[in-house]
Amino acid sequence: MKPAGDAETQAKKAPPLSSSLDKPGQLRPRWKKVKSAGAATSPLLGAAMFSPAALYILLLIAVPFFLAIFYAFSDARIGSTELHFIGLENFRSIIHSPSFQKAVTNSIIFTVVAQAIVLVCSNILSIALEKPFRGRGLLRFLILLPWVAPVSLGTIGWKWILDSIYSVITWVLVWLGFANKLDPPYWLGQEGLAMASVILVHCWRLIPFATVILLAGRTAIPKEIPEAASIDGAGFWRTQFQINLPIMTPILSVAVLFGSIFTFTDIAVVYILTNGGPYDSTQTLPMLAYTQGIQGSDLAAGAAVSVCLIPVLVIIAYFMLRMAHRAEVV
Amino acid sequence: MDEKKKGKGVSRRDFIKITGATGIAASMGTTFLFPERAASQQKTLKIIQWSHFVPAFDDWFYKSEKSFCKQWGQKHNTNVTVDFINLVDLPARAASEAQAQKGHDLFMFLSPPAAYEKQTLDMTNVYKEVEKKWGKKIDLAHKSTYNPKTKRYYAFSDSYAPDPGNYRKDLWAEAGFPNGPDSYDDLRTGAKKIKDKRGNPCGLGLSQELDTSMAMRALLWSFGGAEQDEAGHVTINSKNTIEALKYMKALYQESETPEVFTWTPPSNNQGMLAGKLSFVANAISITRQSEREHLPIDKDIMISKALRGPVRRIAAEHVMDCYVVWNFAENKEGAQRFLIDYVDSFHDGFVAGQFYNFPCFPKTVPNLQQEISNDKNANPANKYAVLGDVLTWATNVGYPGYCTAAIDQAFKSWVIPTMFATVAQGKASPEDAAKAAETEYKRIFERFK
Repeated sequence: MKPAGDAETQAKKAPPLSSSLDKPGQLRPRWKKVKSAGAATSPLLGAAMFSPAALYILLLIAVPFFLAIFYAFSDARIGSTELHFIGLENFRSIIHSPSFQKAVTNSIIFTVVAQAIVLVCSNILSIALEKPFRGRGLLRFLILLPWVAPVSLGTIGWKWILDSIYSVITWVLVWLGFANKLDPPYWLGQEGLAMASVILVHCWRLIPFATVILLAGRTAIPKEIPEAASIDGAGFWRTQFQINLPIMTPILSVAVLFGSIFTFTDIAVVYILTNGGPYDSTQTLPMLAYTQGIQGSDLAAGAAVSVCLIPVLVIIAYFMLRMAHRAEVV
Repeated sequence: MDEKKKGKGVSRRDFIKITGATGIAASMGTTFLFPERAASQQKTLKIIQWSHFVPAFDDWFYKSEKSFCKQWGQKHNTNVTVDFINLVDLPARAASEAQAQKGHDLFMFLSPPAAYEKQTLDMTNVYKEVEKKWGKKIDLAHKSTYNPKTKRYYAFSDSYAPDPGNYRKDLWAEAGFPNGPDSYDDLRTGAKKIKDKRGNPCGLGLSQELDTSMAMRALLWSFGGAEQDEAGHVTINSKNTIEALKYMKALYQESETPEVFTWTPPSNNQGMLAGKLSFVANAISITRQSEREHLPIDKDIMISKALRGPVRRIAAEHVMDCYVVWNFAENKEGAQRFLIDYVDSFHDGFVAGQFYNFPCFPKTVPNLQQEISNDKNANPANKYAVLGDVLTWATNVGYPGYCTAAIDQAFKSWVIPTMFATVAQGKASPEDAAKAAETEYKRIFERFK
């Protein structure tokens, strides 16, 4: 190791930059080296590079988040110019609302059922798409489309498909003789069917996402492990359930975590498809927060409803991350 | 490389400097060099309102070359811009403008925006100015834009749309009602006959949307029920409300299908024009569309006045044009002047909108009955004549009281449609549903005390 003094001496001995300009071939590398070294060590530049991300998080996530908590304890209204602290009054008020009780139940049902279906279907798809076959690229592209397309556009398409007057599904069922023309199923007008329709659309848009994640997980499994299992006599199901799935638990947790959060916080599907109806039977917490806070002008009540999402999301995230961590440790 | 740069003469940095300086000079130049011209620069008036169900109205109002807005803008040296948006997006847009304290100078709501009173200019002077020329406004406009507690007008209403019945003449004639249903009893009897014989269901909506809100209020009032009394006390849980709920349950079970729970505002239009429904409560947008598109069904769709209930014949306005000028508007004077002048031209808008919007200042259309009784687009020409006495049966949201902020919130939270829908599908008894609605109304009213 050379003493520090040597470096300084060498730096002093080095030719000035202007003189090195005269030597073709040495100019660019030396100039670049000096510049990039300065940039990397400059704290100001580092802060400048980091600040857009920090500002984004601060302004678009942190500020609205804390504002919602603040509003939830106030009497804020959209048309009002004053604001008073009213403690837990908003929470007391919404808890007694039948719509809120329904929204909590529905949010949990939609999330749990949709995630269960998504997990099963995406696993099947990832197994099917794992090994190469003709047209696999095209199939992967088609499967990914619902995730790539804007959720609002996709849901509008589903609304037409499930429409009470022009439903193509009903038309086909009637044509095949499975439904009565004068008393067809009303996909969005009957409580059970409306809930099933909302779950269906959630699954439709989340299955591609989960499939891509699981495909990545499957390709990361060392080939030797299933091969060894096969030699030891493990069949297809045993390999899947006792070897592949346990290895993929961390990545499965990620898919479930994201899927749960997307479903639990989603407003677009319910807003476009049913608007919370029929008679609140597909009401969810985000939809109710919007109805009360924005449409109904009661910003504080809307904020209180949305704040109720936080503990549920924190619990989901905690358990999922814990599960993933355990799986990694094991 | 350096030689190349020198040869071209202008570096990127120089280019940015030059163009930046030029831009600043161009924008500042007028002010410094010609101050008098800068002072007389055009003003701007920004308006936002719904995309009208009768597109010809939007053409007359703004979109055509000789539109009202363009002519008004030329006269007042003002650049008028109008944003037309879907009616269901109006509440969210208003909320965002009020929160941001930035937006349009004139915002048109389709229902009384009482919740926004503190964000809007008092329109008393606008009403006074208009009344000097056109006489008193109708009571419907007064109760939809006035707060009796603060004694100020939080909005200005130029017009409203009636909410009559639309029925299939051929089907109803066959059921023994050649002029359509006149009462709720007729509706129940006739609609059942039609559905049983022809399969065409009745189309009174039971969804969380505007048309349902209005139709269910009409039913509620006709049976003597109401959300509140004149003094603003919650009265929803009453015998009359329970009777109305029982009626709707019977009507739904006998003559409707679950599709009414799925509807958005255009759904009953689509159902009627598709030849599927026997009766709906809606403005005249259905028949105007069938005329515009020359649909064969046009001659069979007729208009009836509000149905008579056991207590009264009454219906809500279908939509109430309520213009507000925000406190934060940049051109407040221009916005108020615009409204005053707009009423002067109301008759032209009435004709262009094919009688969709009825005047809040009746003198602006002095021969209303004659005009609507002889409509060259209608088949038959007197199809809309029944709307001549609309003011005897049309009323405001919040009847018999005013449309207050609490009523506004309950209206936009769909309390009434949910109450009726829950009973219609047998998910709650009429008594329980009325009680649940009362709890919700009291909760909302308490928040405004």
